Amino acid sequence: MLDYNLYLDRLDSIEPFGRIDKLRKHILHEPRYLSIEQAKIITKTYRQNEEKPRIIQRALALKNALEQIEISLDPQELIVGNRSTKIRAGIVSPEAGIEWINKEIESLPTRAQDRFNVDNKDIIEFRSELYPYWHNKGLRDKIGQVLDENMDDFELAVKINQKDHSQGHICPDTEKWLSHGPSGLRKIVQGKIKDCDISKRDFYLSVDLVLEGAIRFMGRYADLAKRMADSESDESAQSSLLEVSRICKKLESSPPESYHEALQSLWFLFVILHMESNANSISPGRMDQYLYTYFEKDFLEGRLTLDRALELTEALWIKFNHIVYMRNTKSAKYFAGFTTGFNVAIGGVDDDSNDATNLLSFIFLRAQDQVRLSQPNLSARIHNKTPEKFLNACIKVIGNGGGMPQIFNDESIIPALTNKGIDIKDARNYSIVGCVELSTHGNSLGWSDAAMFNMVKVLELTLNNGYCLLTGKKLGLQTGFLYDYKTYEDLENAFKTQINYFIDKMIKACITVDRMHAAYLPSPFLSSVMENCLDKGRDVTAGGAFYNFSGVQCIQVANVADSLAAIKTSVYDEKFVMPVTLLEALRKNFKGHEILRNRLLNKIPKYGNDVEWVDRIGQKWVAYFSKEVGKYRNARGGLFQIGLYTVSAHVPMGLNVGATPDGRLAKQPLADGGLSAVYGRDQTGPTALLNSVSRIDSILASNGSLLNLKFLPEFFQKESNIVKFSSFLRTFIKLHIHHVQFNVVRREDLLAAKKNPEAYRDLLVRVAGYTAYFTELADDLQDEIIRRTEYGAD
Amino acid sequence: MGPIETGESGIIFDIRRFTIHDGPGLRSTVFLKGCPLDCKWCHNPEGKKSSIDLWHFKNKCIACHICVGKCPQKALSVSADKANHINIDKSLCNKCGICVSECPANALAFDGRLVTVQEIIQEVKKDTAFYEESHGGVTLSGGEPFYQKNFSRKILESCKTEGINTIIETCLYTTRETIDEFVECVDEFIIDIKIFAREEHIVHTRADNEIIKANFKYLAKKVNSILVRIPLIPEFTATPENIQQIAQFVATTRSDIPIELINYNPLGRNKYVLRNKEFCLSDSVKPFTDDQINDFYAIIARAGAAIVKDDVIIRKTKKK
Repeated sequence: MLDYNLYLDRLDSIEPFGRIDKLRKHILHEPRYLSIEQAKIITKTYRQNEEKPRIIQRALALKNALEQIEISLDPQELIVGNRSTKIRAGIVSPEAGIEWINKEIESLPTRAQDRFNVDNKDIIEFRSELYPYWHNKGLRDKIGQVLDENMDDFELAVKINQKDHSQGHICPDTEKWLSHGPSGLRKIVQGKIKDCDISKRDFYLSVDLVLEGAIRFMGRYADLAKRMADSESDESAQSSLLEVSRICKKLESSPPESYHEALQSLWFLFVILHMESNANSISPGRMDQYLYTYFEKDFLEGRLTLDRALELTEALWIKFNHIVYMRNTKSAKYFAGFTTGFNVAIGGVDDDSNDATNLLSFIFLRAQDQVRLSQPNLSARIHNKTPEKFLNACIKVIGNGGGMPQIFNDESIIPALTNKGIDIKDARNYSIVGCVELSTHGNSLGWSDAAMFNMVKVLELTLNNGYCLLTGKKLGLQTGFLYDYKTYEDLENAFKTQINYFIDKMIKACITVDRMHAAYLPSPFLSSVMENCLDKGRDVTAGGAFYNFSGVQCIQVANVADSLAAIKTSVYDEKFVMPVTLLEALRKNFKGHEILRNRLLNKIPKYGNDVEWVDRIGQKWVAYFSKEVGKYRNARGGLFQIGLYTVSAHVPMGLNVGATPDGRLAKQPLADGGLSAVYGRDQTGPTALLNSVSRIDSILASNGSLLNLKFLPEFFQKESNIVKFSSFLRTFIKLHIHHVQFNVVRREDLLAAKKNPEAYRDLLVRVAGYTAYFTELADDLQDEIIRRTEYGAD
Repeated sequence: MGPIETGESGIIFDIRRFTIHDGPGLRSTVFLKGCPLDCKWCHNPEGKKSSIDLWHFKNKCIACHICVGKCPQKALSVSADKANHINIDKSLCNKCGICVSECPANALAFDGRLVTVQEIIQEVKKDTAFYEESHGGVTLSGGEPFYQKNFSRKILESCKTEGINTIIETCLYTTRETIDEFVECVDEFIIDIKIFAREEHIVHTRADNEIIKANFKYLAKKVNSILVRIPLIPEFTATPENIQQIAQFVATTRSDIPIELINYNPLGRNKYVLRNKEFCLSDSVKPFTDDQINDFYAIIARAGAAIVKDDVIIRKTKKK
């Protein structure tokens, strides 16, 4: 491997590319639109193939879309391909569920979060052609028909995800795709069809159909680029288009050889995956590793300069921003700001646990620093042997704002994965899918976002005999009221009973949803790039992958620890409040109990300040949740595992929770991130916070965990502080915390952006494992981000 | 002798973690109470007096007035014009602390606390992992750490026993014997020199700096690792003459001792406002710009002293 040290100064000195800048501005200013074109093709296909099995219907629908959907390209583009002619379009996928669109189509342009413009013509076509056909037929409808009718109430405590869309959250076998291409994969499949068991025949046929479509899709771009080149008068634009055309043509029949070809091939893979599964968090994973040989060969043999390699990389970085995922209004609150989740990992260890950082890792960092858009979601994997140069390069990009790269800790993550039975080589080669969800590369359906378990709500129900403090409805078991629990242990036992009750219901719902995906959304294209599916002849949704997990999130450690610490101190240890009074105060949202609320807030220590006994409460309940969840198997025979992250769900999940014993008022957001302290309560500095977080057993959080820190930009302006920050991160590695990310932004800038959004279009903030444009977030989420504790002012 | 006289206990006003301006690496800084100087601009006014005072912060007060009823000395009363203003009759207050623990909003607080060396060590040891990774450690600041010299020495000795790097930040207004006692347990001395001219020093800090200058020369002969810091306070210390004089003094004492300039921080004013006290500068006074600071650094360099910028020592000639 070549010595990257020789090229870093040169890399730093490369000026921004005019071509990339134009494409970048386009992304920031182009309005988003709803697109129903693919939905129309899908619907037509289903109408014509009513009698065929679902997997064949799905395959034909994708194939037809690949062959018929209108395509376009920008002459500035070096990497081409999209699933709509407009960028950042909101795609309707009727197979998953169309009911919500029927209800919300008129409000899409004006809703609080993730808006899309809608053409009137599309509303008419939607209502006349699409809705009548799909009404009661989509995944969401089918799930609704088999799940409990009281789901809405249940979801105040546990949100079951993936009910109206494909579940995504996967890292495909990119190496296999790059080494075979669709033609090579087709040969494998055709070999299998000949003498396969009849039960597997439809699966193989469907894979063959989608690969045929994929090949045609590439060919159509080759033709389009050629036609545009023919009518192009500018010579350099013409030669650029001809090169694009040549590459697309070649990829039809052959695997890529050059770096440019590999990038284009990779992008086609992700466009097609998004056409098949309209989902988020389909992630490329460790691109600096599997693309390295393509890059190095071109680079060493003189066909590729450093400048060109950076420009091509940035061209792909731009493309990652062309696809967004449109959610329903409720879901958009939980996953606000287009969490598309093209997660790219750089650095980390290799198969033998040596450092794997290479020149591409640095090129990707530089691309991130120059392009500064919300995608890809760049993640740096660090470990004990991470080179100082790489760590410092990461810190400099972090210091420039935008929250990337986020930092992952190999030293804690790899043991957490092997602890769940993952092979050590696969564990060392882990990727991140979406935000912070952990996955092995190319061989796992991790179903990372199966559900979000609101422990704070379950605690509320434990205090109030199973009744919701906000609505008075009975949601949980009647285990008693706070004043019925004679000791703190009695309260803990009741809490366990409630948790078990909700876990049991959650698991049943997750299994149902999982089975419905297998029945209604088989994914033959994804299966073609998932290890084991072709060998087994089984679709990935039906358990075809080598690893099969389901991830459920425990939400939220800080609020649970703070609330239980407050009850333990105020009611049982110091007895400064009668349990009946505390419960009454919670019911009244502390109205008339302001003194008590202040006591609870100010006189009892809080999680995140290195106060061991409080942190241990958080640890205890995470461990309990993990142990109980670990008793179950999912629909694909795999394990349930826990995650400690919320995406943006801490805001809507907080809306579901009444006043809490830690002094939090009803409906206020829960702590952000996953392992963060409640905003503003970590008053002892970032080292104390890391010490607190390290008390939560990271080994249990094999689905991923999240920690947000906010620093002031001034901190990063001093070279000596960068060195200090680097040792801060090295200590973070030793403390065995999985993840940390940094918002580097001034409070004043956020306030100004709220007032004058137009002037701050490109202000990026880290929400929770992903970066979003601050001005595209709803008010309450903006306010929550402003309230988080700032470090580094001193 | 009681624990305070022996130095087993002492009075501090804060322990801050993740301090990044008090020496190399990531550090914890212990702020001790009591100072022989009385600088008008002091940004830690709570560190001046060695005794503990009770304060009321109206910005936190929720006007519940529990404190008034709970005070056994009847030392607290509600101000006539504002419900969230509590008057403290210091002649009655015996600092029993009942109001502090009873106040639900932490609006009543002591500006210091009596702690043992053991308690401090327990607290600073929490960040040992960060010190090790960053070559950081513990800094004693204040106030003036020599003001509680037995206590300071015992903290520093215990840190050394624990393998923690130590820095003391001092104005050097002390005796030679005291300096001798600290040579072994301090890894680096940070010396704050404010004003060179003797009369001005007396006017603005209420202390004679002849002692400081003599001690500086004495210390420079005894220990290697010294850093001089000058706080840039507009109108008081940040004049070209003063900077030039201090730089010349340092350079002629030992030219390898570097000087670092600490920019004026207007936030320090806030502490006075919260305590209803006058501050020596108006709120319109801004920190110095980079250019202005560079001009001051140029004066120092011309005087032949080494400088520290962004924690990097810049010397004219390399020291062997």
